[in-house]
Amino acid sequence: MNVVETRDLTKQYGTVRALDGVSLTVPEGSVFGFLGPNGAGKTTMLRILLGLAPPTAGSASIFNRDTSTERDAIHARVGFLPDVPGFYPWMTGAEFMRFAGSLFAIPEPQLSQRTDALLDMAGLAGNRNPVGGYSRGMKQRLGIAQALINAPDLLILDEPTSALDPLGRADVLQMIASLRGRTTVLFSSHLLGDVERVCDQVAVLDRGRLVVQGTVDELRRSHGGSTTVRIAVTDGIGALVAAVEAEPWCVRHTPVPHDGQATDVVVNDLDAARQALPGLLARLGLGLRRFDELEVSLEDVFVGLVGVGR
Amino acid sequence: MRSFRALLAKDLLEIVRTWRIWVVPGILIFSAVSGPPTAAYTAELLASLGGDVFAGMLPDPTWVDSYAQWTKNLSQLVVFALIIALGGAISGEKRVGTSIMVLTKPVSRAGFVLAKFVSTAILLVAATLVGMLITWGLTLIWFPDAPFGPLVAATAAWLLFALLLVAVVLLGSAAVDSGAGAAGIGLGFFFLLMLSGIWGPMLRWTPAGMAGAPAALGADLEVEVLWPAVTTAILTAVLVWAAVKVFERREL
Repeated sequence: MNVVETRDLTKQYGTVRALDGVSLTVPEGSVFGFLGPNGAGKTTMLRILLGLAPPTAGSASIFNRDTSTERDAIHARVGFLPDVPGFYPWMTGAEFMRFAGSLFAIPEPQLSQRTDALLDMAGLAGNRNPVGGYSRGMKQRLGIAQALINAPDLLILDEPTSALDPLGRADVLQMIASLRGRTTVLFSSHLLGDVERVCDQVAVLDRGRLVVQGTVDELRRSHGGSTTVRIAVTDGIGALVAAVEAEPWCVRHTPVPHDGQATDVVVNDLDAARQALPGLLARLGLGLRRFDELEVSLEDVFVGLVGVGR
Repeated sequence: MRSFRALLAKDLLEIVRTWRIWVVPGILIFSAVSGPPTAAYTAELLASLGGDVFAGMLPDPTWVDSYAQWTKNLSQLVVFALIIALGGAISGEKRVGTSIMVLTKPVSRAGFVLAKFVSTAILLVAATLVGMLITWGLTLIWFPDAPFGPLVAATAAWLLFALLLVAVVLLGSAAVDSGAGAAGIGLGFFFLLMLSGIWGPMLRWTPAGMAGAPAALGADLEVEVLWPAVTTAILTAVLVWAAVKVFERREL
């Protein structure tokens, strides 16, 4: 069953087409990564799904309910964290949690129990300071906690890790991963590593268009298109790079950090590269230290899909 | 309804915890405290400054002067403070992102707007009643024969008029993203209403009649305020409804 479905979703702002015929499905129970560069239309998409903005054309539904006309029924089952969560600065974190819970009509003692547990999870238990004095990371963690107050069937997170330090990001990603199977998570991000770490389904949006949707493995298999090999030599990497550049199977190459005698080469014909490389090394008189096929990363897929024409 | 109660409780708590508790109530209390002594001593003060120039020209002050101070402050100082303080009520929440946090929960936008109107009305009525009682108590010190009725009538008439202005500013705050813009709409409406009172029928039948009514009622003069009061109440309800509809159509 699909929790979220959009069909030919289009949003026009004046002359700017923020979304262009996006048809997307989010399966129940998945951790769904919604990828795209800044300005791709991710936030616009989430705003339409939440009924905060109407589509110009097409339709969107959550739990088979239309997002434009059945907002309340949808909101009762959804938790949401915006990219920059806004809080009343005079409230404490606990007060905001209780306020958010009261909007869902969560009865006592359930509300107190959830408030305590979620604040504890967010590392904010016992903090009696007003939210106005919180750091951005603390606000982000409180934002995630308040999004879970209603034990949502669908959790929508807009760039949840972008404001966090590495440790905070790891915590949030771990928390998202822990929700797998218990609730559906849809989270937008431009941080490929984060999506790759926790998501089992991914959609890539670029300039308002859905470029691709599938599991991370499917995307790696079908859209990698090329393979990256790491070549390390004993000496003379410059000569090797010059020779490799001239080969028809070389797409591009990048140096390897912390290894001055190694390079990553994206190849479009792995067999041809395998056959040609020993000859090149022998001709240049270079010793081979390493020849590895690297796993296709989501970044490779993303750059391949979105980077073209930029 | 339950979410409306939660929103109203939040808005009332916000009034108590922030600057909102000080601005309009503070000006109301200051007006109440300063009005009666100002009325009582203005003539003496002028006489002491002008010597014989004002001798015999200024009548002895009465409770009417004390109540006039109160109604004058209500119709000018308090109105401006109210309009400016309320300008960002809705647009401010949109700007800082709190409205998105609230309205992505099972909360109607109508409830969001109505909670703003009701909480402001509660603040306004409570602070105005306190100010009125202070005015009456202090007036009795200098003018023991001061009747209570005219003060109540004047204050009630002003409250009705002020609630109309609250509705106008909320509509502006729902319609435009700038708090200053919403306040500008409120001030524009106020001045337009004052100007339209020049034309007799507007004064007799429309809210324009409520603008000057508090001063006349405070002086215990015969004033016909039934139709202005009725049209003010109706227009207030229509404007609150319009604020809800405008906000429901806006993208967040």
